[in-house]
Amino acid sequence: MSEKMTIKFTVNGIQEKKEAAVGQTLLKFIRDELHLTGTKEGCEIGECGACIVLLDDRPVNSCLILAVELDGKNLVTIEGLSQNGEMDRLQQAFIDHAAFQCGYCTPGMIMSARALIDRKPEPTDEDINEALSGNLCRCGAYQEIREAVKDASKK
Amino acid sequence: MADLKYVGTSVTRKDAVEKVTGQAKFIEDLYIGPMLYAKMKKSSVAHGKIINIDTSKAEAHPGVKAILTGKDYKNRIGLYLIDRSIIAVDKVRFYGEPVAVVAADSEKAAAEAVELIEVEYEELPAVFDPREGMKPDAPLVHEDLENYDIVPIFYPKPGTNIANHFKLRKGDIDKGFEEADHVIEREYYVPQMQHVPIETHKAAAHWSPDGKLTVWSTAQSPNVVRQLLAKCFEMPMHKIRVISNFIGGGFGCKAGASIEGLVVPLAMKFPGYVVRIVFSREEDMQGTFTRQALFSKLKTGIRKDGRITALQYEMIWDGGAYTEYGVNIVRAAGYSSSGAYDIPNVKTDSYCVYTNNSIGGPVRGFGMCEMQWGIERQIEAIAEELGMDPLEVRLINGMKKGSTTAAGQVVHDVDFEKCLKTVTDKIGWGKKEGKFRGKGIAGLVKCPAQPSNAASSAIIRINEDGTAHVLVGGSEMGQGMLTAMSQIAAEGLHIPTDRIEIRVPDTDFTPYDWQSVGSRVTYTSGRAVKQAAEDALGQIYRVASDLLEVPAEELTFDGKHVYSTKDPEVKATIREVADSCKKCTGEGIAGPIIGRGSFVPTNMTNLDPETGQGNPGLFYCFGATAVEVEVDPETGVIKILQLAASIDAGKAVNPQLCTVQLHGGTIMGLSTALFEEVRFDKGVMLNNNFTDYKIASIDNTPHIDSFIIETPESGGPYGARGIGEQPMIGVAPAIANAVCDALGVEFNTFPLTPERVWEAIKKKQAKG
Amino acid sequence: MLSYEYIKCTDLNLAFQELEEGKQVYPLAGGTDLIVGMRGGKFAAKTLLDIKDVPELKVLEENDRGITIGAAITLNDVVNFAPVRKNIPILAEGCHSVGSYSIRNRATIAGNICNASPAADTAAPLYALEAIINITGPGGERTVPVREFFTGPGKNALQKGELVRSIHIPAPYPEGKGVYLKASRTGSVDLASVGVAVQRWGDKVKVAVGAVAATPVRAHNVEKAINENGETNWAAAAKLSCDDISPITDIRCTRDYRFHLVEVLIRRGLEQTMGVK
Repeated sequence: MSEKMTIKFTVNGIQEKKEAAVGQTLLKFIRDELHLTGTKEGCEIGECGACIVLLDDRPVNSCLILAVELDGKNLVTIEGLSQNGEMDRLQQAFIDHAAFQCGYCTPGMIMSARALIDRKPEPTDEDINEALSGNLCRCGAYQEIREAVKDASKK
Repeated sequence: MADLKYVGTSVTRKDAVEKVTGQAKFIEDLYIGPMLYAKMKKSSVAHGKIINIDTSKAEAHPGVKAILTGKDYKNRIGLYLIDRSIIAVDKVRFYGEPVAVVAADSEKAAAEAVELIEVEYEELPAVFDPREGMKPDAPLVHEDLENYDIVPIFYPKPGTNIANHFKLRKGDIDKGFEEADHVIEREYYVPQMQHVPIETHKAAAHWSPDGKLTVWSTAQSPNVVRQLLAKCFEMPMHKIRVISNFIGGGFGCKAGASIEGLVVPLAMKFPGYVVRIVFSREEDMQGTFTRQALFSKLKTGIRKDGRITALQYEMIWDGGAYTEYGVNIVRAAGYSSSGAYDIPNVKTDSYCVYTNNSIGGPVRGFGMCEMQWGIERQIEAIAEELGMDPLEVRLINGMKKGSTTAAGQVVHDVDFEKCLKTVTDKIGWGKKEGKFRGKGIAGLVKCPAQPSNAASSAIIRINEDGTAHVLVGGSEMGQGMLTAMSQIAAEGLHIPTDRIEIRVPDTDFTPYDWQSVGSRVTYTSGRAVKQAAEDALGQIYRVASDLLEVPAEELTFDGKHVYSTKDPEVKATIREVADSCKKCTGEGIAGPIIGRGSFVPTNMTNLDPETGQGNPGLFYCFGATAVEVEVDPETGVIKILQLAASIDAGKAVNPQLCTVQLHGGTIMGLSTALFEEVRFDKGVMLNNNFTDYKIASIDNTPHIDSFIIETPESGGPYGARGIGEQPMIGVAPAIANAVCDALGVEFNTFPLTPERVWEAIKKKQAKG
Repeated sequence: MLSYEYIKCTDLNLAFQELEEGKQVYPLAGGTDLIVGMRGGKFAAKTLLDIKDVPELKVLEENDRGITIGAAITLNDVVNFAPVRKNIPILAEGCHSVGSYSIRNRATIAGNICNASPAADTAAPLYALEAIINITGPGGERTVPVREFFTGPGKNALQKGELVRSIHIPAPYPEGKGVYLKASRTGSVDLASVGVAVQRWGDKVKVAVGAVAATPVRAHNVEKAINENGETNWAAAAKLSCDDISPITDIRCTRDYRFHLVEVLIRRGLEQTMGVK
C-alpha cells in the first residue's frame, strides 16, 4: 500500500509540508525525499547509530521511526548543524582531533554528541561513553571522539 | 631528513570538512540519473544443483524490468584463481549465493519480485570443515578445478578441495629439531569474523548507447575492478570507467571485484538508467568475504638458552565456497610463517580448502592475525617450558637488521626490539600487580601481500595559478590516503598542502594503482607521487630557467616564487611560470606543467615452488602490543587495564592520522580478541546482524597508549612505510597471554568471551 | 519499504475499535522492537496504530498508591523520573540497561514487556517489585501482576482489543536496596545473557531472573531459603537457583554458563543488598 499522508514538520529550522509514504522509515524519508544524505544507513535495526538525528532535540535512530511520525515534530540532521557556512564547534573539534576515518558513522556520532553536550554541558568520559555507546565506529576513532567531545564542551 | 616541511606534520585531513558536515558523498548519496533498483535471489541451500529457476511470476510483478540468472553470466571472475561466477551457474556452493538478480523501478518491487522467484535445488552432500574437506572422500565443491584459470604462483590439487597448497622449506628442519633441547607442539584455531564496515557493499552501473560502461563501487580497487570486469564481460578497458567514491570502511572486504558484476548486465539492458544494488547488513555478512577460519598445528624446537631452532607449521584454512582471493592469504601466511622471528629451520604447509561456508577472503592483516596468533601463543608456551621471561624469548629470537624471514628474505630497516621494549616499559613489564591481574605482550610483522609487480602511478597538474592537482588511483576508505599523498606531493613540489587538490579515484581520469590493500599505498603510491612531484618541480625550474635566463641549478622555489639563490631579486611568480609561460616578447616558452610518476617494486621475486624461498616482501612493518588485564574469576569477564601499541612507521607522513590508524587497528584487534566470531550452522550464518554479532563500542574501548617508532624504510617515500593493518595483529595474542598470566589458564582460540574464559578457569580447576 | 496502514490515534476508544475489529493491528509506541520485527518478518502487521499521543497513556506520576508509568512513556523518561530513582532505583537500572541512549529515547517500558522477551531488562526488576500491569480494553480495565503478564517467549496476557495502559509499582516501596545485575557478551549495548534483580524488602528479599526460562522467573527457592528458612549463607542460597530456572543455549551463551552466571549474580546481588555476612 503506497498510501501517502501529508505531514508538517520543521527540518533544520525550516517549516515543511510534504507527502510521506506510510511504509517509509524516517531515515529513507530524510535521504530520499528531503535529499539530506548526510544521515546514513548501516543496519536498519537501530544497532549502529549511523542514522541518528535529533527529533524534538532528542537523538533517535531514524531507521526505527516512520516518516509519518515526523508530523508536528522538529527535525535536525547533520546538515542543520553547520548553517550559513559556520560549523558547529563540535564539528570543528572532530576535525581538530581527527575523530573519524572513513566518516560514515560521523554524522550520527556528531548528532548523538551534540545532544549530549546540550543536556550535559561538561560531560565526563562516562557520560560520553553512555551517550555514544549506540554509535558504532568500525574505524575505531573512539579515543579521538572522546577527546573531541570533551574539547567541544569546554568552549 | 630534518628539513621536511610537510611530511611529518599533522595537517588536517583533506576530507575533514566534508565528512563532519555530512557532505562527503558515498555511493548511495549520489543522484546520478533515472534509477533501477537491483535485488538478489539468494540460495537457500549451502550446496546444491540448480534444477530449475522459475521467474515467470516475478517477471509479471508490477515494476519489474528484468530478471537475470546464471545463464546470462557465462564468464567466471576472480583475481588469482578464477573460480567464481557472479551469479551461480548450474550449482550453488554456499548459502546466500546469488542465483538470480532482479531490476525494478523501486526497491520494494525488486524485493517483492525476489520472493516470487522459485528455485528448485537438488541438495548435494556438503562440507563445512576444511579438515574434513581435505579427506579423499569429501564431497567436491569444485569438480572442474583443473579447468580454472589461475595465476601460476598458486598450486591447486584438481580432484580435491585443495585450492592451494603452499610449501615452504627453509634450512633443515630435521637438523633443527635435533639441535633442540625441548620440542613443543600445540594446536590452534581461529574462527571466521566479518569486517562489518558501517557502509555495506554497494555498486551502481550505467550503460551508454555508445558502449561505455560506468560503474560506481565501494571498491578498494577500482583498477582491478575495471580489469576483472573487462575480462568477465569481454570489453576493452577504455570502455569501462570505475569510480570509487568515499568508502565507509573497507578492511579488505571491498578488495578485488565483489558485487559490481551483478548490476553490469542489467545496466546493459537499460541504457541511460543507473542500476544500483545496496547490500543489506545481513547480505553483507553472509554474502561477502569472511575472514578464513584457520586450523593449525605448530611444532617448535628450542634450545635451553631460548633460541628457537626449528618451526613446523601446518595451516588448514577454510577458504569457503570460492577462493579466488583466499589462495593468496594462504600463500602470504605461508611465506611469513615464522612471524616476527628469525628461525633458521622452518617447514610450513599451508592449505586453502574449499568448503560450503561463506567465501573466505582478505581481512585487515591478510592472514597475519590468524597465523601469528599461533606464533605468539607458542612463544608463551616456550617461555613457560623454559621458565624464561616471554619478553626475553622474543628478544632472543626477534628479527634484527640482517635477519631472514621464513622465505629467506633478508630484512633491513628493523627495530623490533624497540617496538617491544617501548610497550613493555609502558605497562610496567615484570611487575605483578594483583591476584587476578596479568600482563601480556605480542610482537607482530607484516609485509604487503601483493604481486611482485603491483604498480602505482601518479599525475600532478600544476594549475595556471600555481595550485596543483594530484591524481592517484588509490581509494579513500578512511585511512587518510588523500591527505598523506597531498603531503608527499607538497614536499616534492614545495607547494603547500592547502594549495593542492586531490580526489577519490575515477579510472577515466586517475592513473593506475593496483589496489588499496596490504598497507601498501603510502609506500607505492607515495613513491609515484614523490616522483611526479619531483618531475613537476624539475619542469618548474627548467621553465623558470628559460624565463629568468639563469641556470636551473641556481633556482629555488618557495611555493610562490621561483628565484635565484644567488640573487633573490631575479625571480618569477609561480603563476608566471605555470600559466603557459612566455617571454616578455610574447614568445611562448612552455605549456602547462604535468608531472608524472610511476612505481613498480624491483626488490620482490617469485618464490620457489618447492621451498617457498625468495623475496615476497616489498617492506616489513614491525610492531608490538602489550596489555594488562584484570579478570573476574567467576564470570570470566576481562577488563583491559592498560593497552599499549607500537608500530614502526619508518616515517609518519602525518603523525596524527598515523596515530588514529594505530588506535583504529588496535581497537579492531581488541574487538576480534574479545567479541567477534561468525557462527555457522551448516553454512547458514547465525549472527548476521549487529544484534547478534557484536563489535567494540566506545564504552568498552579503553585508553590506548600509542607509540610511533620511526626506523626509516630505505625504499619508502621519505622513509615511510604502511601501517594500516599491522596494529590489529598483536592484540588478540597479547590479551590471551595476559589472561594466561593472570590465571594460569590455556587458550588455543579466540575471541576470549566471558564464557570461554570461564571454561578455561573450570578446566584448570578440574586439573587441580 | 513495508506495507501497512497507519492510524494515528489520540482517542482510547477509537484505539479499542481498531484493535478489536482490525486484523493484525499492532499498537505502535516507540517502535524499536516493532519495526525491527516487521523488517525481519516476525510481525506481519497490516495496521500500525500509533498510540504514543493518547493522553491516558502518557501518565507518569507518583501518588500515595505508588508510581504509575504510562504505556507511552520512554525508558529515558523513566530513568530520569525522580520518584523512580529515589524509591525504586532498581527499575531505573533495568530501564537503563535496555539498548542505547537513542533507543531509550523511543522505547517504552510497556513495549519492553509487551514484546515479552524473557531477556527483557525491565522485566526482572518489575518482577522483584511485584509490579502491576494495568490493562485497558473495550470491556474496561483489568490488572494483572507482572508475573502473569508474561506467558511465553513473545507472548503476553493481552486479549484481542486490549492495550497496556500503564505499569504500576505499588506503594509501600521496598525498604532496602535493590540491584539489577546484567551479564552480557560485551558489557555494552547488548541483550542480557542473564539478568538478575535482587530487591531487599526489609529483612526479606525478592529475586527475579531474566533470560533463563520461557518467561522471566522469580527465584522462589532462593527466596524461600532466605525469607522462610533464615539462610544467611548467600552462596548456599544462590546455589538453589538452579531449580528455579531452565535456561537454553543460544547465540549469546550456553545453558551451563547461564546456570553458573545466575548463581554468581544472585550471590553478588544478595551481598550488595543484604550485606556481606
